[in-house]
Amino acid sequence: MVSEQQSESLMALLNAGEHRPLDEIVSDFTSKFPGLLRFLLCSSLSLLLENKKMLRSSQRLVALAILHQNYSSQKPSSNPFISVLVNVACDEEAELCERAFIIQLLGSTNSVLKLSAADFIKSFDPSSLVLPQREQLQKQYCNTGHPEPYNCLFKNTSVKNVVPDPDLPHGCDQNSPEFEQQPGLKPKIGSGDRDQMITGLLQNLSLEGLGPRWIRPLPPRLPIQEGELVWLNPANKHELLWDYGMCADTSRGAAVRDLITKALKGPLGPAQQEQVLFELTNDPKLVYHCGLTPKKLPELVENNPLIAVEVLIKLMNSPEISEYFTVLVNMDMSLHSMEVVNRLTTAVELPTEFVHLYITNCISSCENIKDKYMQNRLVRLVCVFLQSLIRNNIINVKDLFIEVQAFCIEFSRIREAAGLFRLLKTLE
Amino acid sequence: MGSNDGVLSAAAAAKDASVAFHSDKFAECIDVLNQLFRRRNDDPKVLHNMAIARSFQDGCSDPKKLLELLNNVEKRSTELSHASAEHEDTVSSVGNKAALGSKGTNGVAQHSSSANGSPIGYGDKPDTSVTTINIAIIWFHLHEYAKAYSVLDSLYQKIGRIDEWTALRICLLFLDVALASDDPWKFFDVLNYLEKACFVSDTTSQIRSSNLEGKSSSTAADAYNSDSVASSNASESTLSRTLLGENLQTLISKIDMSGQNLARPASLLSSDDLLRAASDHPISTSDLRLKLQLYKVRLLLLTKNLKAAKREVKMAMAMNVAHGKDSSMALLLKSQLEYHQGNYPKAIKLLMASSNQTEMGISSIYNNNMGCIYYRLGKCHTSSIFFSKALINCSSLRKENPKMLSTFSQDKSLEIIYNCGLQYLACGKPILAAHCFHKAGLIFSRRPLLWLRIAECCLMAVEKGLVKSSSAQSNRSEVKVHVIGNGKWRQLAIEAGSSGNRHMDFLGKDNRFLGDDKEPNLSFPFARQCLFNGLYLLNCLDSKYASSVSPCSSTSEENGQNNSDNKSSSVIDSKGSHRSNANVDSKELKGGSAPNATLQSSILHYEEMCRRQNMMIKQALLADLAYVELQLGNPLKALSTARWLLELPECSRICIFLGNVYAAESLCLLNRPKEAAEHLLIYLSRGTHFELPYTQLDCEQWRVERIVDPEELTGGFSNSKNSSHDETQDIIFLKPEEARGTLSANLALICAMLGNVEQAHQFVMQALSIIPNSPETILSAIYVDLIIGNIQEALTKLRQCSRVSFLSGSSTLESSC
Repeated sequence: MVSEQQSESLMALLNAGEHRPLDEIVSDFTSKFPGLLRFLLCSSLSLLLENKKMLRSSQRLVALAILHQNYSSQKPSSNPFISVLVNVACDEEAELCERAFIIQLLGSTNSVLKLSAADFIKSFDPSSLVLPQREQLQKQYCNTGHPEPYNCLFKNTSVKNVVPDPDLPHGCDQNSPEFEQQPGLKPKIGSGDRDQMITGLLQNLSLEGLGPRWIRPLPPRLPIQEGELVWLNPANKHELLWDYGMCADTSRGAAVRDLITKALKGPLGPAQQEQVLFELTNDPKLVYHCGLTPKKLPELVENNPLIAVEVLIKLMNSPEISEYFTVLVNMDMSLHSMEVVNRLTTAVELPTEFVHLYITNCISSCENIKDKYMQNRLVRLVCVFLQSLIRNNIINVKDLFIEVQAFCIEFSRIREAAGLFRLLKTLE
Repeated sequence: MGSNDGVLSAAAAAKDASVAFHSDKFAECIDVLNQLFRRRNDDPKVLHNMAIARSFQDGCSDPKKLLELLNNVEKRSTELSHASAEHEDTVSSVGNKAALGSKGTNGVAQHSSSANGSPIGYGDKPDTSVTTINIAIIWFHLHEYAKAYSVLDSLYQKIGRIDEWTALRICLLFLDVALASDDPWKFFDVLNYLEKACFVSDTTSQIRSSNLEGKSSSTAADAYNSDSVASSNASESTLSRTLLGENLQTLISKIDMSGQNLARPASLLSSDDLLRAASDHPISTSDLRLKLQLYKVRLLLLTKNLKAAKREVKMAMAMNVAHGKDSSMALLLKSQLEYHQGNYPKAIKLLMASSNQTEMGISSIYNNNMGCIYYRLGKCHTSSIFFSKALINCSSLRKENPKMLSTFSQDKSLEIIYNCGLQYLACGKPILAAHCFHKAGLIFSRRPLLWLRIAECCLMAVEKGLVKSSSAQSNRSEVKVHVIGNGKWRQLAIEAGSSGNRHMDFLGKDNRFLGDDKEPNLSFPFARQCLFNGLYLLNCLDSKYASSVSPCSSTSEENGQNNSDNKSSSVIDSKGSHRSNANVDSKELKGGSAPNATLQSSILHYEEMCRRQNMMIKQALLADLAYVELQLGNPLKALSTARWLLELPECSRICIFLGNVYAAESLCLLNRPKEAAEHLLIYLSRGTHFELPYTQLDCEQWRVERIVDPEELTGGFSNSKNSSHDETQDIIFLKPEEARGTLSANLALICAMLGNVEQAHQFVMQALSIIPNSPETILSAIYVDLIIGNIQEALTKLRQCSRVSFLSGSSTLESSC
């Protein structure tokens, strides 16, 4: 912002055009004001120049000289106010002496600056004037390939933020000189001090002018959300726990582990088996610690199917059970594995996919056996197994109908297969 | 057998230590432990119990240190187990007996023939579950719920192998942690698991214990045992025999018979554990039931199923009365229920009845909850008094000595500070509010809402001109006109920055978001950062929902509850299967017999509620962000944000309006006035007349987004409807009529830019008739007049408008004109 003092001293410089040479005024301007302020003042001056009635002729010349000289060290095209100068020079309605003054300034005839503004006006001879065309001036000084800077429409469309609002008695002509305030005389109604106005304007002219004022509503605050205010409830007391496992006796677990290890190698004796089953029943957690892994399951199934059944039932709810199932499905078909599965189906609910997969494996095992005797034996077993599953509603026959039917037909020579076939027919 | 004697006496010493510990004789306990430690100095469990006993003896002033100690114990145990596993492997590969080989390698895997100990140690590998749950307990007390959660989750995965007493503690802790981490599905899982465990043990424990006492061979199990042993022994021979005899049918039926014996009920809590539990910590089954009942109420309150909560809390009260227990917790929950229903006087009464204010932790809770109630009653001042009282309670709690672990968890000051922040924001004190939110960020930083609130503080602070850097923002409520010169030369200078970038001076200045005092610098760049955080967190939540919903459609047959041996499907169950189950038949479950169907359906409803709430938050974040980008002079970013907002599927009409206005302004700033006009023209009907962009109803919905109770829909409480309407601190926003004026004024500007001066004049006059007091509209009207060149008209408008103040010269004296 331009302060009151600064605007007054600029005003003094403008008025000094009456008697001081222009170059002195210009150098005063440069020395008095710092760089950025000079630009602000120049832009205010250029706005003041737009209205021809605001500044007196000598003041206008001083303003024009300042606009030019402030940037005289650079190329004319770099002068931000060059278009103002060219416009005035080409303005048909502008005073001739003003236009001539600019032509001389642009032509870098510095002799004009030795004169005061008043002297220039006095000595001006309109007859010797040659006014160049606008295009010529523009070509010469303005357009040297500077790209048009990006300018926002909002700014391009702004208007000057100052409106004249003459305070005159009704019906008076505001151009009449009678309202010019005369020094020493008592001011009459409607008269005004031009200089005072200009100093005021210098302080309030805005470079940006009055632009369109878009209404940008402030977004509303989000209302307090449900549950956002924290309602507190006392926390439950969770105290640190004592570890009872310290120096605990681990013998029973160890005994069972030993027995399980034995059970993988061969059938256990009745007493041993009873002990394992008793301990497992007694402590539901023991099954997790008895040393059995899915990899070892086939050995347990082959050697001690009943222990395998009990262990699997205990593990039904553990995440590992699916791994055990996978092993069970993929191990070689045998009486014991079938027995284990059959017992499981009656004891717990097995995943349907597992049962289906197991049956499919049974059937394909029967088909692949080369030894006729063994085949017959296995087929009978499978048939009885399937009948049991069907009668106990463990499987839904519809899901496996085609597969089982084909199996029955293939082995129709075996009595149990024919029986199974008849059972299927009755269910149809 | 010298080593066996050693083991024996060690076991005896351990028992002594345990007895001393549980009779609060910690010094004695530590003495015994020290002796034990000298003998078996590499036993992590001795170290563990020592740490626990110490923390009980002199309080727990440094829980982090205890945590570190326990972590070391855990690490040590697993190291030992690896070592012993390797050892056993080598031994067994040689073909030796593992029983001999493992002797003495570590203290835990000792074998001894005596059978007088507790059944906890199995010796296969050291059981670290107690250490682990203690770690979780410490995290819980330190309010580190996410950490506690992950520890507990891994424990819960293998809950089947953990001894029942520890498992019970794990489950109870997990319930609290799941509530605190806002994970109702996990809560549901654990509650189901616990309930089943509790009920099963309830019905079978007597039989089982009599089994144990009698140790007779006449029980079913023994009968089965002998039978099955015989049958398995003979199975191969029987089979071959029957194969020969072609009598498979009988064989199979025999298998069936013995198989049925297998399907007997198994208890979750073994009798041993029950006995032990009863002797150590007296948690009776009825106590546990009551606990679970209260947990259920808390879940129902969280999910805002108020009707069901009412039912369950009544039941809890009845249980309290029946057992003659202290019912303060039930009363507190009842008070919360009334609070949610909007019966504030009743809530206050119950809250007062529930509290015995002697305990420091309780009184801070009491004061905080009172603050919440008074806030809802619209008594801002009273509520702030209660909140600050609650904070004082907390700070005196912190000074208490000796510090027990529970004092940490009782200190709820950060939650209370968040409440304070909300209250300050509502009272229009953004700087204090931001200060509170900043502090509460220690626990709430993962919540998108927190970041939105901080951004709102920024916007409010700038709007109110409370921040230094916002000096450029002149008072927006009036137009200033400087009167320059006098008489013939009198000029009027209208003070007007261009509308585009009123806050350009913010750019680059506020790179540091935190000031020297570590307080947030409220500014637009800071607001933008907060909004980004909020959006990021919200997107994380969205993707979490998306990923957890998709796999659920595949698994939906895990309803095997009819099987008594199937203790719970929840252990293996994924979150998703619950959801899908309930999705499929939540309707029929509602009145059905499934015990926790209500919980399930309320969780589903709660999730829907959260989804809608997140949607609201997202809208608010985006609207704020578009506004902030405009203020920062980034029209391109503002445009993309506004478009994002407009593309949201369930955008409220208010936000659509904001999105359109912001998009239009951005497009104007980008010199695309024609596209800008399109955003405003959608509201234009009958040629030149604007519709209301939203209704009064929309405003009210925005003001109180009350989520309706699921059971309320079917004719529930009528008084809850107007519950939070009486919030005095209304959200200030344009009335629908004003919004219409805004559209008109802004369209006028676009017309002016496009050179269509007549239409511009028409629209701006319309706007002026709707919102004559908006300074922007007056300026726009004058602007249009000046473009037309109608200076007289402009001057008249300036003089007529009440929102214009004339300043003589450059002074600020107001002159009436």
